Amino acid sequence: MSSAHVTPGSVPGPKLAAHFASLEVQKHAARLGMWLFLATEILLFAGLFACYAAYRFLFPEAWAACSRELDLTMGTVNTVVLITSSFTAAMAVHYAKEGKNKMVGHMFVLTLLMAVAFLVIKYFEYKHKFHIGTLPGRYYFYEGIQLPGAPLFFTVYFASTALHGLHVLIGMTVLMFSTVRAYRVGDFSANNYTMVELGSMYWHLVDLVWIFLFPMLYLV
Amino acid sequence: MAIANESQQEEHNMQEHHGAGRYVVIWVVLLVLTLVTVFTGRMHLPDFGLLLALVIASVKGTLVALYFMHLSEHRGANRLVFGVSIAFVVLLIGFTLMDFGTRFRLANPPGSQYSDLQAVDIGANKAEGRQGGHLDEKQKQEKHE
Repeated sequence: MSSAHVTPGSVPGPKLAAHFASLEVQKHAARLGMWLFLATEILLFAGLFACYAAYRFLFPEAWAACSRELDLTMGTVNTVVLITSSFTAAMAVHYAKEGKNKMVGHMFVLTLLMAVAFLVIKYFEYKHKFHIGTLPGRYYFYEGIQLPGAPLFFTVYFASTALHGLHVLIGMTVLMFSTVRAYRVGDFSANNYTMVELGSMYWHLVDLVWIFLFPMLYLV
Repeated sequence: MAIANESQQEEHNMQEHHGAGRYVVIWVVLLVLTLVTVFTGRMHLPDFGLLLALVIASVKGTLVALYFMHLSEHRGANRLVFGVSIAFVVLLIGFTLMDFGTRFRLANPPGSQYSDLQAVDIGANKAEGRQGGHLDEKQKQEKHE
């Protein structure tokens, strides 16, 4: 097993900052800080969810027609890809606790590959929409659906998927740091895995948001 | 000292190492629920379709938060933060909908389900667009005429 990196004598682990009583308290603070940050992220997306709710309430027919215009196959594949990437991110934390740094790296590489796949699929969906003209607001020129509220659906669609896509990019950057550290330094262990854990929590949030966006956009 | 004690409890929970099997089970359940929601979504249930989809999504979200994000092993403050943020999301959406649902009918946008006014039909070509079109394109077209 690759836990052989850990040499006795120099016990690897996080440094204890002076203002914390113990390492446990420090870890607890890091975790609580991450949850607070994730709460702000949830509320950021909540604004878009509220827009969605308000306009679906006003324009239910346009909502149903437009959501059927989306490519359900691509949406479903993307959901499966993102859930699986979330699974590999969780496995990375699992291996980090066991000190298997190589496996942490492999799991995150898999996660990153699936993140790229997600974005590529999203690109093809966007490209198709730019082509047929299902675009937000005044840029809408699709003749197939001429219902009041249809451009609004695509405003909500593009705003929420673009914000989610941005989070995918940020999450990939965060996970890349952990991946490099797992391969190069290899010092993750049972008492040093906060970096892996918090990075993977961010990735799960990205997954969590998509779990709600997918039925809202593709299945109404 | 309560916080320190609490965090040690959490540390104990987090140190307790679970096999990878647990993650595999959650992953499979999430995939199955995805298939279920696609299946029920394609049936286009008239009234409770969106509700059912949201219930399934909430179950999936709860599984991710509890097991992938380890909320089931976290204590006190972390759960409180997450719970409160979800509560505020519900408040935000709930009050927005209550506002729209109880409005004076004429205050709703024309063409919407709760308005008696027709939507202004402004065509759908590039110059006009649905929402008034590109002003510059419109002016160009008018100059040509």
